Amino acid sequence: MSGALPGGIAPQGDLPSPRELAAEVLALAAADGETQVSVTRERSLFSRFAGSVATQATAIDVVSVHVLSVVDGHTGGATCTALDRDALREATRRARTAAEAAARSAPSPGPYPGLPKPEVSPPGRSLQGHGPPGPFPELDPAVAGAALAGAFATAEARGLAAFGIWTAGDVETAIASSRGLDVTDRVTDAYLKVVCRDDAGRAGFAARTATSIAALDGALVAAEAADRVARTEPVALEPGPYPVVLDHDAVGSLLDQLASLAFNGLAQAEGRGALVGKLGTRIAAPSISLSDAPHFPGTLPRAFDAEGVPKATTALIEDGIARAVVHDTRSAALAGGGARSTGHALEPGGSAWGAVPTNLVLGGGDAASLAELAAPIERGLYISRLWYLNPVHERSALVTGVSREGTFLIEDGRISRPLRDIRFTDSILRVLAQTEALTAAQRLVSEAEYYGTRFAYGSVVPALRATGFRITGGA
Amino acid sequence: MHALLADLLDAAPGGCDHVEARIVERAWESIGVRDDAVAWLEHELSTGLGVRVRVDGAWGFAATTVLTPAGAREALARAIAVARAQPRTGAGRRAWAATLSPVPVAVGRWSSPWRRDPFAVPTEEKLAHLTAAQAALAVDPRVVRREASYEAIRTTTTFASSDGSRIEQTLLECGGGIEALAVAGEEAQVRTYPSGHGGSVAAAGWEHLLGLDLAGHAPRVAGEAVQLLSAPPCPSGPATVVIGAEQLALQVHESVGHALELDRMLGGEAAYAGTSWIGPDDLGTLRLGSDQMTISADATIPGALGSYGWDDEGVAGQRLLLVQRGIVTAALSDRTSAAAIGLAESGGCGRADGFARQPIVRMTNVSLEPGDAGTLADLLADTGDGLYLETNRSWSIDDRRLHFQFGTEVAYEIRGGELGRLYRDATYAGIAPRFWAAMDAVCSAPAWRLHGLTNCGKGEPGQSAHVSHGTAPARFRGVEVGASGTIPASAAQLDAPSGMVG
Repeated sequence: MSGALPGGIAPQGDLPSPRELAAEVLALAAADGETQVSVTRERSLFSRFAGSVATQATAIDVVSVHVLSVVDGHTGGATCTALDRDALREATRRARTAAEAAARSAPSPGPYPGLPKPEVSPPGRSLQGHGPPGPFPELDPAVAGAALAGAFATAEARGLAAFGIWTAGDVETAIASSRGLDVTDRVTDAYLKVVCRDDAGRAGFAARTATSIAALDGALVAAEAADRVARTEPVALEPGPYPVVLDHDAVGSLLDQLASLAFNGLAQAEGRGALVGKLGTRIAAPSISLSDAPHFPGTLPRAFDAEGVPKATTALIEDGIARAVVHDTRSAALAGGGARSTGHALEPGGSAWGAVPTNLVLGGGDAASLAELAAPIERGLYISRLWYLNPVHERSALVTGVSREGTFLIEDGRISRPLRDIRFTDSILRVLAQTEALTAAQRLVSEAEYYGTRFAYGSVVPALRATGFRITGGA
Repeated sequence: MHALLADLLDAAPGGCDHVEARIVERAWESIGVRDDAVAWLEHELSTGLGVRVRVDGAWGFAATTVLTPAGAREALARAIAVARAQPRTGAGRRAWAATLSPVPVAVGRWSSPWRRDPFAVPTEEKLAHLTAAQAALAVDPRVVRREASYEAIRTTTTFASSDGSRIEQTLLECGGGIEALAVAGEEAQVRTYPSGHGGSVAAAGWEHLLGLDLAGHAPRVAGEAVQLLSAPPCPSGPATVVIGAEQLALQVHESVGHALELDRMLGGEAAYAGTSWIGPDDLGTLRLGSDQMTISADATIPGALGSYGWDDEGVAGQRLLLVQRGIVTAALSDRTSAAAIGLAESGGCGRADGFARQPIVRMTNVSLEPGDAGTLADLLADTGDGLYLETNRSWSIDDRRLHFQFGTEVAYEIRGGELGRLYRDATYAGIAPRFWAAMDAVCSAPAWRLHGLTNCGKGEPGQSAHVSHGTAPARFRGVEVGASGTIPASAAQLDAPSGMVG
């Protein structure tokens, strides 16, 4: 890869492509038996702002190589960022040595069933993912600057200050294995978040996620955030159950939690998941249909998982009935009973913490707008965004969290006065069971938290109305 | 590495009024043994360079793994391009990096203390130790998953800046823990030791893991996991609570440490991690807690995860009092935030997670100073009746660091000054200043321990900081326990076919 991007930041030249590098490393490990090599190249750009002032900007161009070695059902792994031959050979040696040590330490074969066979034919054919055919042109700091300027101007015009982040990423992944796997994928993503605040600290939030930054407009997102800033002093809500309208981002946050609490195949097999004993039973309202759909229009598409297993749509809840959990090869082997990988490995060799869906799609309903969702509510609340969610009781999918930056009372069918932020403690499954209506419109939402190597994921969700949402305090 | 950085600094064009660069070499090893088999055994060697520049008042930062002069200069060019593309500061607004607080030129080396290098310990020895520890959890068939884990990290950072600083530091971290998952019917409970967040990690060597005596604690841990399956839910309502040191460490972290980060006060984290209910004008006057509450931030404690010779801006690690007898006296700051409020110097809290992240304000080692309440047994005896809460399970706090809710793995009744009945699913909630005002006793120095956290998240892109908190068990009056009030006696209570919309 070489050459400057139009108006953008040139990628580092003279680096082999991830696919070339994966093949090279696999060749170095040819004598090491069962081996998988994963190469990831992240190029990304972040531009943060606070008080309508640019604060920090970060440009990343990093390659990492992971080698997984398998010996008698035991795995060992090694990661390196140095790309010279000696360093790569050392990584293959470390992985092999680790797997051998694990095998020697155990009295019997290990729990790993072996690297998956390639599911493309013929073996060796590259499974190209969904990324754009050429350089991703939008890692251009000038584009970020323009988006920030648009957000600042909009906030300024409303007497507010803008806080947030613009970020775009281009992550190429290649996986090659001694079983003939040879796949590549490229995931591009873009995200813009704006929080508008007044001098008193009252704030409103809006965000957009897409595969391309062209879909994001700093001024429009800032305007939406500004619309949510309370213009009067917020009132407090007493603890208790209330009907609630959850906007798209709030729904996405709940489903993000549910993904690991309920649909993690390892948790299910170990008896700690929220769907233990519930597959095939009604767990949600009939209007609820939830799937993991990596090729759904409007999602952040992904071709395969961290074991190179192709991704496909998995129905998780159909018309309120729990249908499935997801697996990688490790959790499927533990689950037994014919379970197979569903293409949800988060790490090479399967994560010790299980498999989780990362392309959730919640089907929409009939409501034309948030206003229509609010219309039947005599007294309840509207929540734009949820924050700091954490499980309280995993088996019941009971979580706690708070609202922020856009919480309003609903009175006599209308979103009315601003509310002080609330704390809720409720079961996500109960919320889905008590869902009365969903908007027809769905939107891609994301937590956009990029720790470690960038892994962009999001959920396509409607807004919804549910009854009995348990407010347990203020925030 | 110094030569590479020197070449990079020399290459910086005249338009850069500040340049600093770090090369971070990290070796990481993690092993988990679960149900008598190795669940994971991973090594990582990463080396990269991050360069930060200030151009016309705007920051730019770029990271690369190509450690050649050409690669470093290319990263510098990207950082400059990024800085130049930032929108100019509008009229009436102050640029985020308008000024930096001054820093003395620092040239030197620092290394954390350790006795036995964990990377030199044979893998077989590590596996045998962990295998024995998790095997000792096999006390009951209801323990369906037994796990022992270990982690070691060696981080060598070479830093150079246009201020003239040249620093090399090495931090070695090591630790681990055990976890038992017990399942029966509709109930599943987890019990861990020393904590649930990757165990106990310290700036130390293999000797730290050995000192935890994982195998020795295992039978108790597994036994408690089983007992929790049938234990009654923790009672709800206002109560006198004694909070164990490990849970108190997270309480300090969430409701004090983060609230006193100056960049949060100034709005720098408003869109993500949040702000603070405490402002710069409160320093020196605001009462945060009782007279029993004295909080220090100390980057010089041997063995603590947030200790160093210099932070990632080249500012010397230091100790300062954040709260003195309940009054907030200082904030955690870096060069940018310190300058923003006119402090004479940075508090030395500018830290970055690896080479691909730029420094932001982070905690160092934020600790509740010990009191005079004696040992835990002494405190329980003095308490009479109440609840004892131990080992964090769940945590949540609002974006201003004011309203919190925590859950612990276990709660014990305190009756007649002794521990009694075991309870499950304990939670407690509060508002930070009211909670800390209700603290009326802190155990003494012999009961004070450092607790390491390796998963403190902040910043965009996200950064995980490693920090330690020194705490001793403490007592709080009138705490709202079971504030959620919604943990079911059984999961069946939340299966709601009768109320389901259809």
